[in-house]
Amino acid sequence: MKNPLSSRTVFVPILFAGIAGSCSAPLQAESGVFDRDKVQQVRTILSNKCFSCHGPDETNRKAKLRLDAKADAFAERDSGTAIVPGKPEESLVVERILTTEPTEQMPPPKANKPLTDHEKTLIREWIAAGAPWAEHWAFVTPKKPAVPDVKDRKAVRNPIDAFVQARLERDGLKSNAPADRTMLVRRLYLDLLGLPPTPEEVDAFVADPAAEATEKLVDRLLESTHYAEKWAQMWLDAARYADSDGYEKDKGRQVWAWRDWVVGAFERDLPYDRFLIEQIAGDLLPGATSDQKVATGFLRNSMINEEGGIDPEQFRMEAMFDRMDAVGKSMLGLTIQCAQCHTHKYDPITQEDYYRVFASLNNCHEASIPVYTPEDEKKRADLLLRIREIEERIRELTPNWAERMSAWEKAAADRPEAKTAWEILRPELDTSGGQKHYLLEDGSILAAGYAPTKHVTEFAATTDAKKISAVRLELLNDPNLPLGGPGRSIYGLFGLSEFIVTVAPKGKPGEAKPVRIVRASADANPPVKPLDPAFDDRSGKSRVTGPISFAIDDKPETAWTTDLGPGRSNVPRQAVFVFDKPVEFPDGAIVTVRLNQSHGGWNSDDNQNNNLGRFRLSITPDPAATADPVPARVREAIAVEPAKRSEGQNATIFSHFRTLQPDFVELNRRIESAWTEHPQGSSQLVLANREAPRMTHRLERGDFLKPKETVAPGVPGFLNRSRAGDDVDPRLRFALWIADRDAPTTARSIVNRVWQSYFGTGLVATSEDLGSQSEPPSHPELLDWLAVDFMDNGWSFKHLHRMITSSATYRRSSAPTADQLQRDPFNRLLARGPRVRVDAEAVRDIALAASGLLNPAVGGPSVFPPAPAFLFQPPVSYGPKVWPEDKGPNRYRRSLYTFRFRSIPYPVLQTFDAPNGDFSCVRRSRSNTPMQALVTLNETTFVEAAKALALKTATEGGTDDSARATFAFRRCLARKPTAEEVAELVRLKTESARSLQGDSARAWKLAALDPAKPPQLPAEMTAADLAGWVAVSRVLLNLDETITKE
Amino acid sequence: MNTPSNDRDRMRQEAARSVSRRWFMQDCGVGLGAVALKSLLAENATAASGNPADPLAPRMPHFPPKAKNVIFLFMAGAPSHLELFDNKPQLAKYDGQLPPPDLLKGYRAAFINPNSKLLGPKFKFARHGQSGQEISELLPHLARIADDIAIVRSMTTDAFNHAPGQILMNTGSQQFGRPSMGSWALYGLGAETRDLPGFIVFSSGKKGPSGGNSNWGSGFLPTVYSGVQFRGAGDPVLYLSNPEGIDEQEQGRSIAAINRLNRMRYESVGDPEINARISAFEMAFRMQSSAPELMDISQEPKHILDMYGAEPGKPSFAANCLLARRMIERGVRCVQLFHEAWDQHGNLVNDLKANCRDTDQACAALVSDLKQHGLLDETLVIWGGEFGRTPMVQGGSDGRDHHPNAFTMWMAGGGIKPGLTLGASDELGFNAVEDKVHVHDLHATILHLLGFDHLKLTFRFQGRDYRLTDVHGNVVKKLLA
Repeated sequence: MKNPLSSRTVFVPILFAGIAGSCSAPLQAESGVFDRDKVQQVRTILSNKCFSCHGPDETNRKAKLRLDAKADAFAERDSGTAIVPGKPEESLVVERILTTEPTEQMPPPKANKPLTDHEKTLIREWIAAGAPWAEHWAFVTPKKPAVPDVKDRKAVRNPIDAFVQARLERDGLKSNAPADRTMLVRRLYLDLLGLPPTPEEVDAFVADPAAEATEKLVDRLLESTHYAEKWAQMWLDAARYADSDGYEKDKGRQVWAWRDWVVGAFERDLPYDRFLIEQIAGDLLPGATSDQKVATGFLRNSMINEEGGIDPEQFRMEAMFDRMDAVGKSMLGLTIQCAQCHTHKYDPITQEDYYRVFASLNNCHEASIPVYTPEDEKKRADLLLRIREIEERIRELTPNWAERMSAWEKAAADRPEAKTAWEILRPELDTSGGQKHYLLEDGSILAAGYAPTKHVTEFAATTDAKKISAVRLELLNDPNLPLGGPGRSIYGLFGLSEFIVTVAPKGKPGEAKPVRIVRASADANPPVKPLDPAFDDRSGKSRVTGPISFAIDDKPETAWTTDLGPGRSNVPRQAVFVFDKPVEFPDGAIVTVRLNQSHGGWNSDDNQNNNLGRFRLSITPDPAATADPVPARVREAIAVEPAKRSEGQNATIFSHFRTLQPDFVELNRRIESAWTEHPQGSSQLVLANREAPRMTHRLERGDFLKPKETVAPGVPGFLNRSRAGDDVDPRLRFALWIADRDAPTTARSIVNRVWQSYFGTGLVATSEDLGSQSEPPSHPELLDWLAVDFMDNGWSFKHLHRMITSSATYRRSSAPTADQLQRDPFNRLLARGPRVRVDAEAVRDIALAASGLLNPAVGGPSVFPPAPAFLFQPPVSYGPKVWPEDKGPNRYRRSLYTFRFRSIPYPVLQTFDAPNGDFSCVRRSRSNTPMQALVTLNETTFVEAAKALALKTATEGGTDDSARATFAFRRCLARKPTAEEVAELVRLKTESARSLQGDSARAWKLAALDPAKPPQLPAEMTAADLAGWVAVSRVLLNLDETITKE
Repeated sequence: MNTPSNDRDRMRQEAARSVSRRWFMQDCGVGLGAVALKSLLAENATAASGNPADPLAPRMPHFPPKAKNVIFLFMAGAPSHLELFDNKPQLAKYDGQLPPPDLLKGYRAAFINPNSKLLGPKFKFARHGQSGQEISELLPHLARIADDIAIVRSMTTDAFNHAPGQILMNTGSQQFGRPSMGSWALYGLGAETRDLPGFIVFSSGKKGPSGGNSNWGSGFLPTVYSGVQFRGAGDPVLYLSNPEGIDEQEQGRSIAAINRLNRMRYESVGDPEINARISAFEMAFRMQSSAPELMDISQEPKHILDMYGAEPGKPSFAANCLLARRMIERGVRCVQLFHEAWDQHGNLVNDLKANCRDTDQACAALVSDLKQHGLLDETLVIWGGEFGRTPMVQGGSDGRDHHPNAFTMWMAGGGIKPGLTLGASDELGFNAVEDKVHVHDLHATILHLLGFDHLKLTFRFQGRDYRLTDVHGNVVKKLLA
């Protein structure tokens, strides 16, 4: 249903006539003089100065008195009553705040939180007025307040303006006239797209006679993917997005698919409640799509520590704490981090609440799934379809295929490999070398933490077996491995350079002797191939991968791999190693297996390991043992009764079965050939639920080594109720709770941040915290109105943008008056339009757009624009990093797509205050420094932009200097320059050109993107002239106004 | 009119955060002594600078400071206290034996099985100076200034992995996101020069610091307080040089045009932020000549270069030490030199020799040089890494693992009692046992020397008043001169 106040409806001020209520309606309470604002002010004072000792935190509560709960504060106590409504003289609180006796005084002098006289008076007046009690505003579900009536109804275009105007009238501050259309159109482009308008776009808008030209423009901009890119950035900050792991190694990671998911979500205006649910629990939604799984990458944006000496569980816990913080700041708008160690001192969040939420998120694998670019995805779908069609063709050509398959199944079940008796070894775990190993319940070993690129791990197990003839190595999948494993390489695979076994009599490790392995078999034997370049060790030696014989050939340069090409290699595999003769000890043996994994690359600080990920060792006395040629997945499927098999299981069996049939050779060959076209794809970090729930404990002082009682999943009690039943997975239940219509902070917090993005400051300045300690909102009713309106309109960002941009408040001129500067320097009362320097990304994007260099391509892997190479090498970077500077079109992509190393932030963006993704950031600093001037003056991209803009100006900018100066000026600033400004630019052009006259070599060096290939210039123009325009362009790109939203 | 916040301090924070990041105001090179003594937290704190929107205006701390500058020689990787400062004859005696089991209760090691054999110290110690400080033979230069430094042999920390350890040492927390010590100092004191950043960082050695930029980041403080990385070769600071083909004249002409156009805009819209940007460009232009001048150590007399062991044109830790002095002379508030080289899991003997050869002379020279320039009194010099190393061996017989329970740092100048040895570890150098100094205590002490009560230097973030020392820290009174 269309909301009557949506963008196309011009709000008629007359509607306000007769609407009751005002900006701060008196409370119905005991008093008529104490309005809502003042009650909240008192609450804020109490929170700031009293709650840390007399608040929610029981452990640190003094005198057993709490002032954040009405019943306690008003209760009669032996020592007197803290607050006696209406009777300040009988209230202990008043006595204690007014006394000058240091031992009696509250807050105690040593707390260093003295009350000002104003605050004391306010508390006294509040009690005198009957101490009207109010819960903290942000903890109460917002209701849509009545829109206030105002004196100057002409100032009101929509309800936003009524709230703003009411406050301005109260404070007697005069608001600005509307911005002129040029200022407005540039503001809208920068706000909605993060890019400047072209002069043509400006002119078209200025010339548009339609009454609703602005609304039309806004609608058009909201349809642009650039809108989604601009607003995705806000969420990326909050989600601490980066393309690397952080900590010491800070290895690159593949998470761009999540970033693209965010862009896509803004583009299709995914309702915000849905947006949150999918990011917390998209994988748990019925029939979850790959996209919805990718959405859970939000929680995986935590840093990962793979230093050599770490305990992986410690840093998984750190990541959990980080997720809690991110959820708190970005979704709840609350600081819940405090409750990690103790019950919150200001907000009613208990430590148990914290760990209940923690438990809701704790039952996860740190998983990774394959993802593909849209082109690859299409290619992949095509070839999978092709394979299905060929398989269908096989079935068509073979009417009796079902009987044949069933016969084969029976034969497979009878194969000797299916009957070999294997004893699983449960070895001691190797602790050398830095990689950590976990022994799982099924006897398999999971590698984690630091991943050396060349190492030998040793696993020794004691067994009672008296005779051992062979060892089996099973490679298993695990959700915590890249792409599910079974290896740890970026492909989820491995290279086993050598498999070495020694045996000793039980209890006599000193008598260990090597065993000669004479025969090895495996269920995957890929052809011999040169080692993937990702694992180059810079030794110059030729290293290869291939069949299982490579694991027992005693040649360090060869390795067994199970890489059968992309798309079908991340499956369980096995190999069997048979001894030259059985080993026999009457009392059992110690079997030691050495896994030589030397097929990784040169740089262990990068993603170059090629290690085994999850594996299991078994022994058998059977000297005829052979690796089961039937793959584990097929065995699993066969084990299921035919009637109970899923479609997938049937397909799995058939796809294996057909490969064994000689009459299908040609069609099988075509399928094999199709598989070779499968794209490699990329990966995305996601969450996946564990089958066996992980117990969550309250951690004393947040220390993972001090687990206390177990805590069940749940939500904090002081906010909205959880509606979902117990049958819903706790993580999904938590997601639904956050995105609930009744959630008091969810909508307020995001609406406030959108407002902050437009106006520079939120209605609540402390946008990361709406709790007791937050700064009171400048316009509390407006915040509530916007929050409810947002929810009423399907949690639609686009609706919110239309609402804000259609307000007179937004459209005002931003030039401050002296009175405004004096009385409201930070424009909190919104008498003028916003005038703020744009965000880091826009600073760079404006230069790219104005110069015409911008490559508008959307999405895909992050890109590597120019950066000084030394930044990525020691001793600046901890380890050598790869920064393959883009020379092609990717050089000029929007800044959103710049690869983000956490430890080495991209300097251009960092200098303009972009956060580095260490932690959730919902409010950026905005600095103004000489370093920024150096960037826009001298950094490569800005210099290239100046050259490109100059060339554009020279070739398209008109025929005389004045026209050209105007052309370049408007590409940067939209508006037409004044005569004085034109004169300044033309003078600069002339002087610069003159200084280069006759030195065309130097002029080209300065003016051409590639001096070796100087561009074609208009007939009358010289290289020196072009250099003059470079000077002009450079100046324009450096202007305050260019990087400012006015 | 009431502004929505009537808390002045909050206003200042807000101003610093979201309004003007002024790198300099005119004529602000005011020394500490010249500024009227006003408490940072006093109602009129911002009035002292005359500009509430200037986050870098010089400010007086809570009480008269002993030091106004800090140089932190950060020995990343964690140097072995047992080979450098903490002489343990008993460890030599028990070499090759297992440590007492109760010592290992609850002990977690990074790489080794904690129940590994003890490894005796590899180098000899002797007493030096009138103070008789005990220093290893690896540090002959430092030994000569033994009477100028205070050695703390009872440091402890909570972390035993590099990134968390370094982040803790530099920001007071193992969790990322907190402001670095230098940022806190700049936030508290403001800047004394606007010709250079107030907090400058160098990196030398084998690798970069673990944890990267966050070691000198501003965390939740405004970004204007974060450290700026310099380097000893090429452009000292990123993008300092003009683009190819643009000479100083052209650059000057362009900046003049930028500022004239900016001024025109200011006259039309009146936003003071434009003035701040004009100043930033003037400053940038000045920095383009002042920074190379600062970095040009060839201007130093030969005996000074020799004293440090620095060679013009050759980046080194020694050159960085000399640059640190030049920066302090020019009013830079904090300089931090990261030298990553000390992670001796193996090759302990040879690596330590090499590392000490690379650093000992320059560290000692820096202290002496500051002294002879009359700067040591107001400059606090700190030397140390993120933790210590195990008394137990790693590998064969030539390596030590990470160890948080005891390690050594030294300090000099800026109100530190010279010639003092503070604290002691147990006879194996395993646990600090006397006058324990936790990282938080070190931070409290540093802030104290800078004139701050560490409990009161706070920044409101997420509803809480954060401190460098979080909820910990005691000033180590015994260290004070």
